[in-house]
Amino acid sequence: MARKRNPARLIVALSIAAVLAVFLLYTSIAGGGTPSISPSELAGQQGIVSLAGRVQPGYKGDSYGTGLRFRLRDIKGDSTKRVIVLYKGSVSDQFKVGREVSVKGELRNGIFVAVKDSLVTKCPSKYTAKKST
Amino acid sequence: MPELGRAALVATLGLALYALLAGSIAAWRGRRRLALSAQNALMAAFGTSIVASLVLVSALIRHDFSFVYAAQHTSRELPSGYTISAFWGGQEGSLLLWLLILTGYATAVLLVNRRTARDLVAWVTPVLAAVTLFFAFLLVAVATPFATQLAPADGNGLNPSLQNPYMMAHPPLLYLGFVGLTVPFAFAMGALLARRTDERWIVATRRWTLVAWTALGVGQLLGSHWAYEEVGWGGYYAWDPVENAALMPWLAATAFLHSVMIQEKRGMLRVWNHLLVVMAFSLSLFGTFLTRSGIVSSIHSFTQSSIGPWFLGFICIVVFGSLALVFARLPLLRSKTRLESLASREATFLYNNLLLVALTLTILWGVAYPILHEAVLGESRIVGPGYYNFFLRVFGLPLLLLMGIGPLVAWRRASLRSLGLTFVWPAATALATGLVLLALGAGASIPGLIAYTFSAFVLASIALEFARGTRARRALSGGSWPAAFSALIGRNRRRYGGYIVHAAIVLLAIGIAGSSAYDTVAERRLERGDTLVVGDYRLTYRGLEEREAANATEIRAVLGVERGGERLGAVEAGKNAYTAERQVSNEVGIRSDLLTGEDLFVIAEQVNADGSVYVRAFVKPLVNLIWLAGLVFVLGALITLWPDAREQRRLATRYEGAEAPARP
Amino acid sequence: MSVALVLGALLAVACVFLVALPYLREPDAERDVLEEPNELDRRRLELAERRDRALGALKELELDHRTGKVSDADYRALVGPLRREAAEALRALEPRAATPERVKVERPG
Repeated sequence: MARKRNPARLIVALSIAAVLAVFLLYTSIAGGGTPSISPSELAGQQGIVSLAGRVQPGYKGDSYGTGLRFRLRDIKGDSTKRVIVLYKGSVSDQFKVGREVSVKGELRNGIFVAVKDSLVTKCPSKYTAKKST
Repeated sequence: MPELGRAALVATLGLALYALLAGSIAAWRGRRRLALSAQNALMAAFGTSIVASLVLVSALIRHDFSFVYAAQHTSRELPSGYTISAFWGGQEGSLLLWLLILTGYATAVLLVNRRTARDLVAWVTPVLAAVTLFFAFLLVAVATPFATQLAPADGNGLNPSLQNPYMMAHPPLLYLGFVGLTVPFAFAMGALLARRTDERWIVATRRWTLVAWTALGVGQLLGSHWAYEEVGWGGYYAWDPVENAALMPWLAATAFLHSVMIQEKRGMLRVWNHLLVVMAFSLSLFGTFLTRSGIVSSIHSFTQSSIGPWFLGFICIVVFGSLALVFARLPLLRSKTRLESLASREATFLYNNLLLVALTLTILWGVAYPILHEAVLGESRIVGPGYYNFFLRVFGLPLLLLMGIGPLVAWRRASLRSLGLTFVWPAATALATGLVLLALGAGASIPGLIAYTFSAFVLASIALEFARGTRARRALSGGSWPAAFSALIGRNRRRYGGYIVHAAIVLLAIGIAGSSAYDTVAERRLERGDTLVVGDYRLTYRGLEEREAANATEIRAVLGVERGGERLGAVEAGKNAYTAERQVSNEVGIRSDLLTGEDLFVIAEQVNADGSVYVRAFVKPLVNLIWLAGLVFVLGALITLWPDAREQRRLATRYEGAEAPARP
Repeated sequence: MSVALVLGALLAVACVFLVALPYLREPDAERDVLEEPNELDRRRLELAERRDRALGALKELELDHRTGKVSDADYRALVGPLRREAAEALRALEPRAATPERVKVERPG
C-alpha cells in the first residue's frame, strides 16, 4: 500500500459511495415518502394513500364498534368536495370538529375505508406538543 | 412592568450589537481595552436578559393577564410549578430562555478564559455576540414576550399534557444542549479568525461541549419518557420531525466529541472537526427553527409564525459564513500526520465519524424532503418511521459494534494477531449470547437479535477493559481490588468515564431492541368482570373510579393484574378532563416489573357511557433499561467531566509560555 | 410604573458603566495593544503540543501493553520511535540534553 497517499481519503470516498448506494437502493424499493392527498384530489386514486383533511361537523359511530364515520374537506383552498371516512381503531382525545387529521386507507365504492389505528390528529396551533397515535 | 421588560430586551440588543462591532474592530486592530469593553458588553447582556426574564416570570406568578403571554399560557388554577415553567412553554418565552442561557454561557466562558488566550477570546466575543444579536433582535422586533392587552379574568391555562414534571425539565435541558453548542462553535470560528493552528480552542471548550452534549442527551430521554407516560400511545419515539430536531445535533455533537480526541492525540482530522462543529451548531439552530416555525407538518406543530424566515436566513448566514471561513483557512488546517493503518484506533474513530454523519444526514433528508418536495412540486408527502428505522439499523448496528471494537484496538497500528487475541473473549461471549437468545426465541426479530448480540460484545469488551486495567493497576502499585479499581478510574477519567457512557448507550440499545422488536399487544372491549390476556399477564376489569383533582376530573378504569396465577395488584388507566382548558387527556397505566425491566402498559382507549371500556395493553420487555441508561449516561459523563488537577497543571504550563501573562 | 422607570434607569447606567470600565480603569494606556502570539510563541506552542502528544502516546502505549492490547513485539517496535519523538520535542523546547532514555514517562495506571 502506497504510504504516501492518505488512506483516510480513500475510506471517506468509499463510505460516501456506500451510503449513497444504500440510500438509493432503499428509496427505489420503498419509494420516496408516501403521498399525502387532500379530499379534492382523492377521486381516482388507487391503492393505499394518506388522506389529510379537516373534520367537518356531524360525525357519528363508534370507532371500536362498527366504525366511526366522519367527513373531511380540504385544509387549504375553497374546494367543496367532502370525503366520507369509515374508521376503526384508536382516536386521539384531540379529535374534534375543525381539527386537521391524517388517515391512511383507500377509496372503495365512494367511501374512504381507513386502515385500523392510522388516524393521526394534529394539535391546534396554539398549544405545544401532543401526539395522538 | 412590561416596559421594563421591553427596555431590558432593547438594552440586550444594543449591547450585543456593540459587542459584535466593537469586538470585531478590537480583534482586527488589536485594541486591548476595546476588546475588554466588548466582552463586558456581552456579560452585561446577561444581566439585562436576567432582568427581562425576571419581569416575565413575575408576571406569570402574579397572574398578570395584561401580559398576553401570561394569559395564553397560564391560568389561575394552574399549580405554581407549571406556572413558572410556562416561561418556556410558549414561543416568545422559549426564545427568551435561549437568550438567557446563551448570554449566561458566554459570560461564564469569557470570565474563565479572558486572562489567557486573549487573541482567541477577542475573536470568540464577536461570534457569540452575533448569535446573541440574532435572538435579541427576534425578541425585540418579531416575537416579543411583553405584548400587553386588557387583562381578561383568567388565562387559557397550560396544555394538560404539558402538566407533567418531565415537561418542566425537558426544555431547559434541551436548551442547555442546543445553546451550549454555540460555545465550541464560537471558539472554533474564533480560532480560525485568529489564525491559530493549535488546540487551544479544543482544550478551552472540551468541558463545555461535554456538558451541552450530556444535557441534550438527557433532555431527549426526558422527552421520550414524557411521550411514553403522558402521550401514551405505547411508544417513546415516533421519528417526528421535532424529535429529530434534537437528535440530529446530538449525533453531530457525538461525532465531534470523538473526533476532537483524535486531534488532541494525533493532530489529525482538523478540517473534519471544524466542519463537525459547524454542522452540530447549524443543526441545533435548525432544530430550534423546526420546532418554532411550524414549517413542518408535524403533530408537534407549534405556532405558524413569522420567525421562520428569519431563522432560515440566519442559518444560511451561519452555514455559508463558517464554510467560507474554513475554506479560507484551509492551508492552516492541513495536518502533517497520516493515518497509518486501517486497523488502528484512529481508523475506528474515523469509521465512527462517518457512520454518525451518515445517520445524521439521512435523518436530515427525511425531515427536509417533504418540505422541499412540497415547495418545489406543490405535492404533500410524508416520510414514515419505516424510512428512519431502516437507516437506524443500517448505520446504528455497525456503530454499536464499533463501540466494542474501538477500545480493543491500539493506536497507530494494531497487528492482526494482537487484534485476534483481544477480541477472543468478547467475540465468544457475543456468540454464546446470540445462540442462547436464538434458542429462547429471539430469532423472531433478526435486527433485534443482532442488536442483542452486538450489545453483548460491547458489554464484554468494556468489562474486559475494566478488569484488565484494574489488574494492571494492582500489579503496578498493589493494594486491594476495589482500591485499584477506583485508582484506575481516578487516573484515567476520560477513558473509563467514556467506557461507562458507552455502557449506557448499550443499555439504551438493548432497551430499544427489547421494547420494539419483542413487544406484545392485545386489545378488546371489556365489561365489568371481563378479562384481557396479553403476554403472560391477565387483566380483569373491575370497574370505573371517578375523582376530582385541583384542575381536572379524573376517570379511571381499574384492572386487576395477574401473572402465572399470582396476583400483582391493580393498574389504572383512563382520562383526565381539564376544566379551564376544556381538554381531555389520555392517562395510561404502567406497571413496571423491576426484576425483568418490562412494562405492562395499559391504555383505556374509550370509556363508554354504560361503564364498559375499550382497552389496549402492551407488554414491553426491557423498556426500563432505557431510563436506567439515562442514569448510567449521566454517571459516565460526570466522571469524564471531573476536574483532574494534574491535567489542569499540565495544560496551564503548556499555554503559559505562549500567552501574555495577566496584566495588573 | 415609576419603579420600572427607576429600575430601567439603574440598568442602563450599570450597562454603560460596565462597557466603559476598561477605559475608566486605564484612562491613558500606552500599551493598548492586544497581545498576539508571535512567531516564537506559536512555535513553542506547537512544540509543547507535540511534546504532550508524544508523552501522552507513550503513557497510553504503556497502559495498552499492560492490559494486553499491544503484544510484546508490537510494544518493542513502537516504544522506540515514540521515545525518540518525545525526546526530540523536549529537546527542541528546552535545549538542555534530553536523551531518549531520560524521557520521563508518567507512571501509567
